[in-house]
Amino acid sequence: MSEKMVSLEDYHRISQFYYSEARLLDERKFQQWLTLLSEDIAYIIPARHTPFVDVAKRGTEALLDLEQEISRGIDPPFRDDNYLTLSIRVMRSFKMNSWTDNPPARTRRFVSNIEAVHDGDCFDVYSNLLLYFSRYGQDNHTYTARRHDYLRDTPAGLKITRREVLLDWNVITGPSVGLLF
Amino acid sequence: MPIALSRLVSEDGSLVNRRVFRDPDLYRIEQQHIFARSWLYVGHESQFRKAGDFLANYMGETPVIVARGEDGKIHVSINSCSHRGVPVCRSDFGNAKRFVCPYHNWSYTVDGRLDAVPQEKKVCSKLDKEKLGLKKVPRVEIYKGLIFACMDPSIESLDSYLGDMRFYLDCMFDRYPGGVEVIGAAHKWQLRGNWKLPVENQLGDVGHGPFLHGSLLKNTPQVDELEQFGMNVVPKAGHGVAVRLMPPNTPLDQCMWGADGIAAFDPEVQAYLLERQKEVAARLGDVRARLKPLTYSVYPNFSYLWGNNTIRISHPRGPNGVEYWSWWVIDADAPDHIKEKLRVNYTFFFGPGGVLEQEDSEAWSQQVIGNAIEVADDAPYYYGLGLGDAKLHPELPGKVSSCYDEHYARDFYLRWRGDIAIGLAEKKP
Repeated sequence: MSEKMVSLEDYHRISQFYYSEARLLDERKFQQWLTLLSEDIAYIIPARHTPFVDVAKRGTEALLDLEQEISRGIDPPFRDDNYLTLSIRVMRSFKMNSWTDNPPARTRRFVSNIEAVHDGDCFDVYSNLLLYFSRYGQDNHTYTARRHDYLRDTPAGLKITRREVLLDWNVITGPSVGLLF
Repeated sequence: MPIALSRLVSEDGSLVNRRVFRDPDLYRIEQQHIFARSWLYVGHESQFRKAGDFLANYMGETPVIVARGEDGKIHVSINSCSHRGVPVCRSDFGNAKRFVCPYHNWSYTVDGRLDAVPQEKKVCSKLDKEKLGLKKVPRVEIYKGLIFACMDPSIESLDSYLGDMRFYLDCMFDRYPGGVEVIGAAHKWQLRGNWKLPVENQLGDVGHGPFLHGSLLKNTPQVDELEQFGMNVVPKAGHGVAVRLMPPNTPLDQCMWGADGIAAFDPEVQAYLLERQKEVAARLGDVRARLKPLTYSVYPNFSYLWGNNTIRISHPRGPNGVEYWSWWVIDADAPDHIKEKLRVNYTFFFGPGGVLEQEDSEAWSQQVIGNAIEVADDAPYYYGLGLGDAKLHPELPGKVSSCYDEHYARDFYLRWRGDIAIGLAEKKP
């Protein structure tokens, strides 16, 4: 067994953390959700495009490497949030004139495929997210994403210090990717 | 389809029928007589630095390949194989030598010439490959890095088409010696809604700003500044720009580009922008050194947000659909870490995850509900705010009025009506 592998107890804590996080968000307790974040959080949703594939990569897994279709470095992601901007998003949600949040969406988050390893004082965790989004009468959408998180283990519990949300779309067909994934 | 044009758009442009935003027959005419006959934005020169650099885009609903050829020129070709019509470019952007059609593997150079037909070796009659290239978009012209193309070979020059819009475009696209660059792939998203509403929004509809975006903008100094110094300008009917013209002797930090948003809260960014602003008067003159545009649109479907550094195209997808494309644009001379810090002025506010964009998308999508109400076709939309107010201005070219005057939209829909009239006339036997 790798020394990076987490114990069953830690795996249980991590999965419980994600399930309660999902429930907080689905129950629109966004202010409580903010307490799950570390104040140095980097929250990134890269953009995803269809690259022109280099013929020299044929026959190898490099041909289909995900990395070549993800915005990195200077390329603009869909979102590049920090604690301040996430707080502004949350603050907005509770205003009457926040027209995209009032009336609010009905959402249901499903977290699965949790893989966790130790990385210093953090857990390095992959998970899959399926987010069902329904607003007004018949405006229904399903978002799917890979999440890659760093969860810091603190005396106050686990805190998200980094989250990358990799959406599975090229053309976004949902109403916004301004949601809390 | 009996249509009285004056019932679609009234003579003064102040009333616009709901049908304008939903009618499939009008939509067909728009495709033929507006999208196939206007200069359409297809890309920025900074995206095509080397021969072989290409970008897949659309002109209206037509898929096109924009590329720099071996001859160093920008070529725009229709992305559809001459053999059976299958698109030959299957990526968003990149650098290519050839595009190969998946069906029979006919291959084309990036500038659209037919290079090889694998089946040719087994047939006796040879093809005239010269004539079987991808269909070319006949006109391509560039203004300050902005590449426009037109399906109609007889269209006026791009310079003449833009007219006085150039004075305002220069405020970003000629602001700095190194110009601007477009970085990364387009962000793309689907909207329910008609393509004209996003364009109209950025022709000068700053009137929605403090209200639709009230949760962030209400009672802010930005809105006070807009109401005090803001103006809507129509440089030429169909084009529009919303600006703030700061008074003479306004401190540089209140005139500089880059301070709309949150990036300039960073002292290093603030210092960089201030340094840059010092050069602007020498390039653009005193008036434009005090001019802070907000939104631009060029007829029919190009828009630019000056403060949030994004070029956008409203691609029509049927009367009730839009595929909205947005690129991040930045001062090309800025060091990379400054560019990256400035990026938040785009990503936090606009693009598919932006806090302001999501509110715009909401309004544009909800409009289809109103557009569909046929029993209310005798209750057209009201575009009369500020009717008759617009005048010439001593310092700014074009017709100028207050920031909540809707003359930009009246002029847009009257130009639109003129194009539809031509389309209807040509349909008659």
